[in-house]
Amino acid sequence: MKLYINLIASFLIASISFAGDIELQNPSTNQKAPDFSGMNTYGEMIRLSNFIGKPVILEWTNHECPYVARHYDENNMQTVQKIAQDQEIIWLSIISSTPGDQGHVGPKKANELTVARGAYPSHVLLDESGEIGMLYGAKTTPHMFMIDANGVLRYKGAIDDIGRGMQFFDASFPKAVNYVSSQFPELLAQETLSTDSTVAYGCSVKYNYD
Amino acid sequence: MDRGSLAPLFLLQWFNMKNMKNVILVCSLLICSIVAANPVETGHARASLITNIENSTQESFYVGVRLEMQDGWHTYWENPGDSGSPFEANWKVSDGTVVENVQWPTPVTIPYPPLMTFGYEGDVVFPFKVFRSLDSPLEKINLEFNFLICADICIPESASLTLDLSLATPNLLLSEAVTELPTNFLQTNSSKDQENLKVTFQSSEEITSAYLFPKQDNLFIYSPSQKLVKLNDDTYEITVPLLSSDITFFSGILSLNGEGFQVEENLQSVSSMSLWQAILFALIGGLILNLMPCVFPVISLKVLSFVSMGGDDHAKIRTHALSFAGGVMSTFISIATALLIIRSSGSMIGWGYQLQSPIVVGILTLIMLGIGLVLLTNINFAAGLTTLGSSVQSRNDYSGSFFTGVLAVVVASPCTAPFMGAAIGYALLQPSFATLPIFIALGLGFAGPYLILALKPQWISALPKPGAWMETLKQFFAFPMIATALWLMWVFMVQTSGDALILLLILSLILGVAVWMIATFKGRWKWIGMIMTVITAFQIFNNLPASSTEMKADASAEKWSLEIESEMQSQNQAYLINFTAAWCITCQTNEKTALAREKVKEYLAEENITYVKADWTNRNEDIAIGLAKYERTGIPLYIFWKPGMRGSKILPAVLTEDSLIKSMQ
Repeated sequence: MKLYINLIASFLIASISFAGDIELQNPSTNQKAPDFSGMNTYGEMIRLSNFIGKPVILEWTNHECPYVARHYDENNMQTVQKIAQDQEIIWLSIISSTPGDQGHVGPKKANELTVARGAYPSHVLLDESGEIGMLYGAKTTPHMFMIDANGVLRYKGAIDDIGRGMQFFDASFPKAVNYVSSQFPELLAQETLSTDSTVAYGCSVKYNYD
Repeated sequence: MDRGSLAPLFLLQWFNMKNMKNVILVCSLLICSIVAANPVETGHARASLITNIENSTQESFYVGVRLEMQDGWHTYWENPGDSGSPFEANWKVSDGTVVENVQWPTPVTIPYPPLMTFGYEGDVVFPFKVFRSLDSPLEKINLEFNFLICADICIPESASLTLDLSLATPNLLLSEAVTELPTNFLQTNSSKDQENLKVTFQSSEEITSAYLFPKQDNLFIYSPSQKLVKLNDDTYEITVPLLSSDITFFSGILSLNGEGFQVEENLQSVSSMSLWQAILFALIGGLILNLMPCVFPVISLKVLSFVSMGGDDHAKIRTHALSFAGGVMSTFISIATALLIIRSSGSMIGWGYQLQSPIVVGILTLIMLGIGLVLLTNINFAAGLTTLGSSVQSRNDYSGSFFTGVLAVVVASPCTAPFMGAAIGYALLQPSFATLPIFIALGLGFAGPYLILALKPQWISALPKPGAWMETLKQFFAFPMIATALWLMWVFMVQTSGDALILLLILSLILGVAVWMIATFKGRWKWIGMIMTVITAFQIFNNLPASSTEMKADASAEKWSLEIESEMQSQNQAYLINFTAAWCITCQTNEKTALAREKVKEYLAEENITYVKADWTNRNEDIAIGLAKYERTGIPLYIFWKPGMRGSKILPAVLTEDSLIKSMQ
C-alpha cells in the first residue's frame, strides 16, 4: 500500500515539478555522456558540453549523509579533488536533495561548506529537481562519474572499494583502492578504464518523491 | 484434542513462568548493578540479545538480535538494494562456542522512488545459530552490533550487547523468527531476453504477490514491483528487469505472499549450446571415450580380433567392423530410450546411474572377470560367451563382434569423456526429439574408428602381422580386465558391505570354475558349466543386501548440500566442489592425479578455498538436482567459485595438478 501511495505521489509531483521521466536512467560507459545544464552556487548556468577538451568528474554529494561526512571529515574527498585540480580535471559536485530533505542547501550555505571543508570543486551544482541525478542514474551519495575530454562517459560507480557493509566506518582510506584517482592517467589518455563500472554505496540520493 | 495440539499451550505457559522468573532475576541483578547492557537504546531503535536455549545440555541453539525500530525507520538485508548497508555483528564468545553467520529473515521492499532498497521495518529478529561443546560451561556472550538505520536519512548506530547464557530463558520471538526463516529451496526455471529475466516457479498456493530479492548486487534493476503472471494452475512467472543481459547465475530469496524461499539458478549453458553444437560435442566425446580408462580393456579385445583378421579378406573385416559398430549403436539407442522412459516417469536420472545399483555392479564384476578368464584360457574369445554350448563354432560369427560392441558401451557407461558430459547433460534436459540424435552421435563417435575401418579395410594391414605374439598379448589383456573387476568390487564394497563383498568373491570363484569347465571339457560338462554360470548370476539377485545409504565421510572435505553454493557465496567463501562417485573411474583418476595431491591441498589451504565433495556412489536425488543446475546428468563435474566472480565456473573434466591450480587462479 505504501508503495502505491509513494508511486502515485511521485508521479503527481514528477508531472508537476518537471516533465522529465521519473525513472532513473542508466547511461552506458564508453558512450557519450548525456549532456545537461545546471545552476551553480553563483547563479551561473553550467553546461557539461562546454567542458569538451577537459575531463570532468561528477560527484553526487549530501553533506549530512554519514558516508559523505566521513569522506570529507578525513580529508579523503578533498585529496582526490586536489589531484584532479592539479591535472586540470573539472570537478562538479552535485546536490540532488530536494528542498526540505537531508543535504539540501542554498547557494550561500553550499559555498560556506566548500570553504569550511577545504574542498576543491570547480563548481557545486544545485539540482533540486533531481533532473541531473535521474539522467545519470545517481543512486547514492557519494556516487561518482568520470567523463573524458571528448565527452565520453568512462566510469560510473563507487569512489572506492571499501563501501559495502558497515566495515566502511572503520576501513582505512589510504589502504582503499580509489577508483577515481587511481584511474586519472587512463582518463587523461582517453582510454577505456580498467574498471569502468562498480556498484555505488552510501546513503540514497534524497530525490523528490513524497 | 490430542496431546500434540495441546503441547504448544503447555509450552506457552512454561515460557511465561520462566519469563517471570527472569524479570525477578534481572531486577535483583540490577540492584547489584552488574547486569550488562541488554537491551540497549541505540537512538532510533532498541537492540536486545535473546536466545531459545532451553537447557544446558543443548549442543546447538539460536541467539537472536532483536531490533525494535522506531516508526518509519528501517535497516537492511544482505543486499541493501540501491543504497544502504547490511549490519555487522562481531561476537565475543568463549572457546568451545561458535556463532554462525546470520540467517537472514525474508526482507521486504522499502521503496524510495526512483530508488529501491531491501530490508526490515518495525520489530525484527535476526537469528544466529550457535554450536557449543558440552565440556565448557554456558557463559556470557558479547556482541558488538553495528548497523545502518534509515528513514529519509541514514544514521550508523551500534549496540554492545551481553547475554549470560547460563541465566537466559528461551524467548518465543526467536523461535518464531527461526520457523519463519526462508530455508526451503524453491526450484526456478528462468529465461532471459535483452531486458528482463523471466523466472517461473510452481506453487500449489494462490500467489498474489511475488518479489525476487537477489543476493548479487550487480545483476538486476531493483524495480518497485516485478510483474507476476499465472501461467497455469500452479505455475507462475515474474519478470525481473536486468541491469545487464550477460547474467549467468543468480541466487536470493523469492518472497511469495510474504513467505520467503531460497532460490538459486545457473543460466550459463541454457543458451550457450545449440543442438548442432551438442551433436558435435557428442561425436568428439564418443571418440575420446575409446581412450578412457574404463573402456580401454574392452576395446583392446576388439583391436586384437581385428589383428587376428589381418590376413583375411576385406569384406569380412568390413562386416565385423560394422557388426561391432551396430552393437555400439543399438546399445546407445537402447540406453537413450530407457533414459527417456525413466524421465517420462518423472525421475531425476543421470549418466552412470545404472552403476548406483549394487546388483548391476555385481553383474559387471562377473562379466569383467569372466572375460579375463576367457582370455587366459583357450576358449575362442571372438566367438566368446555368446556361442557357449553350441557344438559348431561358426568361423563367420558376427554376433561376437556385435556383443563386444554392446559390452564396450555397457562398460563405458560409468565413464564421462571430455565434451561428452556437456552433450549428454544437454540431451537429457531437452525434449525427446533432441535427445535421440545426440545419443546417436555419441555412438557414431564411439564406433568411429571401426566405421572408418569398415570403409577402408585395407588399413588393417598397418597393424602388426598376426603370430604367436597374439596369444601372449591376449593373455596379457586379461589383466586390465581383472583390474577392472577389482575396481568394480571396490565400488560394490563401498555401496554395500564387507559381507556382501565376500559373497561376490564366492560367486567369482564359482564363475572361475564354470569357465574352467567350459574351457576344459566337452559336451555334457560344458552344459554343466553353463548352468553354473546362470545360477551364479541368479545368486546375485537373491542374496544381495540393500545398498547402504550412509556414505563414509571424507574428513578433508565439506559435505555437499543443495544450498551450499549460495551459502558460501553469501559468506564470500571461495569453494571447489567435486561431484564424484566410487564407480566413476575418471573421477577416481582425477582424485589421484590432482585433487588428492599435496600441492593441490596446500593451494586450497593457502587460498582459503573450501573443498566440498558430493558423493554420488549411491542414488541421491539432491545431487541429481544439483547436477541438473549445471545442465549435467553425469560426473565428474568440478565447480569453482571465489569472491569477485559473477557465477561459479565449471572446471575441465580431466584434471592435472597444474591445470587444476591454474584454472582456480
